[in-house]
Amino acid sequence: MPLSLDLGTPVNTALLIYILYSVQKIIFPPAPDLSTVPRTVPTEFKHGYSWMPKSHPPTVLFRTYTPRTLEPFNGLDGGRILLAINGVVFDVTAGRNFYGPDGMYGNFAGRDASRGMAKQSFDVEMLTPVDQPLDKLEDLKPDEIENMKGWIDHFSNKYIICGKLVENDAV
Amino acid sequence: MAIAEYLVTDDLTVLLGLISVSVFLLQNLYKPQPLVHPILLGRQSEAGRVRNPGESAVYRNYGTGLMGRFPLRPDKDVHLISDFLKADFESPRTLWSTKITNAQLKERAAAVGAGLAQLLPGNSSVLLVLNDGIEFLIADLALSASSITSITLTSPVLLSRVLEAHPPSAIITDASFLPHVLELIYDEHESHPKIIVVGQPDGNVHPKAVAEVEILGWADIEANGAKAARTAPVTAQNPSNPSTLAYYESASGQLQGVALSPENFTAGVTAIRALFPPSSGLSSLDTLVSAHSLSTPFGRAVAYTALYDGTSFATLPSTKLFHVTEARKNDVADIISATTLPIPTPTVAFLKPGHVQALTSDIISRAKSSWFYPLAWRHKFAGLTEGFVTKDSLWDRTVFDGARAKVIGELASTLKTVIVSGGPLELPTLTPIRIALSVPVINIHTHTAASGPLFATQALDLQILPSDGSALAHVGAPSVNVEAKLVGVQDSTVEAGGDPVGEVLVRGPPVGVPLGEEEKEDRWVKTGETGRVLTNGAFRMLS
Repeated sequence: MPLSLDLGTPVNTALLIYILYSVQKIIFPPAPDLSTVPRTVPTEFKHGYSWMPKSHPPTVLFRTYTPRTLEPFNGLDGGRILLAINGVVFDVTAGRNFYGPDGMYGNFAGRDASRGMAKQSFDVEMLTPVDQPLDKLEDLKPDEIENMKGWIDHFSNKYIICGKLVENDAV
Repeated sequence: MAIAEYLVTDDLTVLLGLISVSVFLLQNLYKPQPLVHPILLGRQSEAGRVRNPGESAVYRNYGTGLMGRFPLRPDKDVHLISDFLKADFESPRTLWSTKITNAQLKERAAAVGAGLAQLLPGNSSVLLVLNDGIEFLIADLALSASSITSITLTSPVLLSRVLEAHPPSAIITDASFLPHVLELIYDEHESHPKIIVVGQPDGNVHPKAVAEVEILGWADIEANGAKAARTAPVTAQNPSNPSTLAYYESASGQLQGVALSPENFTAGVTAIRALFPPSSGLSSLDTLVSAHSLSTPFGRAVAYTALYDGTSFATLPSTKLFHVTEARKNDVADIISATTLPIPTPTVAFLKPGHVQALTSDIISRAKSSWFYPLAWRHKFAGLTEGFVTKDSLWDRTVFDGARAKVIGELASTLKTVIVSGGPLELPTLTPIRIALSVPVINIHTHTAASGPLFATQALDLQILPSDGSALAHVGAPSVNVEAKLVGVQDSTVEAGGDPVGEVLVRGPPVGVPLGEEEKEDRWVKTGETGRVLTNGAFRMLS
């Protein structure tokens, strides 16, 4: 049967148009607009090669806390959890299991935990009330001070140092 | 049935169907692969988790990371400047117009060192008021191996102020600049330094000055030293002791000095070698040309990189600082004059923005004379939006190679990387530069206080980012061994998620110690420049 070259059939016409359109796109890629600097770029790398993330990586501001201002950060409202050892405030929100309200060490959240860390105890007696001056830690033995320093190292590696703790009236 | 009549297919349909399938596949699979995956370009630096009030977080290169150690040296045995000359590399290479091996270079440096030691007491200082050349390099190698400090200036106008602030025991200068130097010294009326002249001084030197000031020839020093060098003892060097001082002018016009030690230079060379993409690192087959004077720490680090990798090296004529004629402009003729020296055709060029922009506009204007130029431009631009550029494409062969060859001759075929520093690059010029050169163009930011680059873009980064107010291209993340932070930042802007803007402070192994700050405990050095951090971790210099 001879080949019928009837381009009048819609299917052939459609295919021909598609081919011509694609070939034109290949030979003549889209021209750049006059200003080669775009106004906006996508925020996902899947949507384009020139892209920018939507926001900066989160950073925590280093603040000075007093026992009163530190106390609200005990995780009871689902917010950040902070605790202080020897004047250094750590953000332990990542360890909510331990330091959150239901955690084993929940007593320490929002408080100065220095004495507890030194004496390796989680009792409430280790904490000083927020109204009173900071625990001077003078009566600790050298090995307890060493223990506390070890905990400070552990916390520095695991959590973020985000502030320092000073007396209530120092601010 | 009416529909079946319309949908009649025949052999032509099959043919067209096959063609359309292949065209479809071609269109979708023909997209070029980006040279570097865009996910890496969205996280170029790693930011610290905490920041002090009024400051930004500390940023480091993503490859180094917050916990990583800074790379300090290109190889574990390189501690001093003389270690840059590898003992086991025996082939000669051309430095400016001298063909020399490492061993010969070491001998000449030792001879000059011995000659200078005969003249000067230990712990003195020598001011180098020399234009770039092999004598500068030899003097620098000789001085760094001895206990004599070398002093360099980044601009000739600082000469009188430096002579006042830090009077040297000797000055090494070019014959053409000698009268100017003598004039300044003669005015001082203090104990005059000895002057060592490179080249033949012409007759009309101030006679009074000659009587008071001791003038010696470089060749004599080298000859005298060569005899004594064999018996001279080798002194042990401490890499962290400052061996050179560089004086520059700060933004407020004040004279600033920075002390650099061999440790700073080994770190600087490491950072420069880390600029190149892994597939095209430096080797002894390369030739470097630099538009940065050896009087600047970065220029010297580039020269040391050339020495370490055994490449040939030359600087462009525009690096001449100390001259009595008019200054050379940064343009294409400057680049071409590098090819008139007996070095092999350059493969890597450290240029200034003026050079690159002049080169680009010349190449584009030549390319426009071709009929295929609009099509070639469109194809190249389509490749750029996908993150791909190459020098070997069809469009280069038809349009751009010819244009490049007409503008820079042989350099067009051998140039494989261009590094731009020394000034801001404008955003709208980035695309023409990338298309015209079609090689990796690395935008870096240097400062006189550091021997290596402070900030550097990724070598294969071809993103075209929006301008957000300033029309300057970003300079990338901090270099592999530098950490940077901004001070004077508005906390409210940053807490709301905006970009931090403030003065840039840097710290790291290649950063020297500013004079007057030796006792400071933290080593943060103020650059005096304002910068802004973008969300992808790149820095944009605003001043």
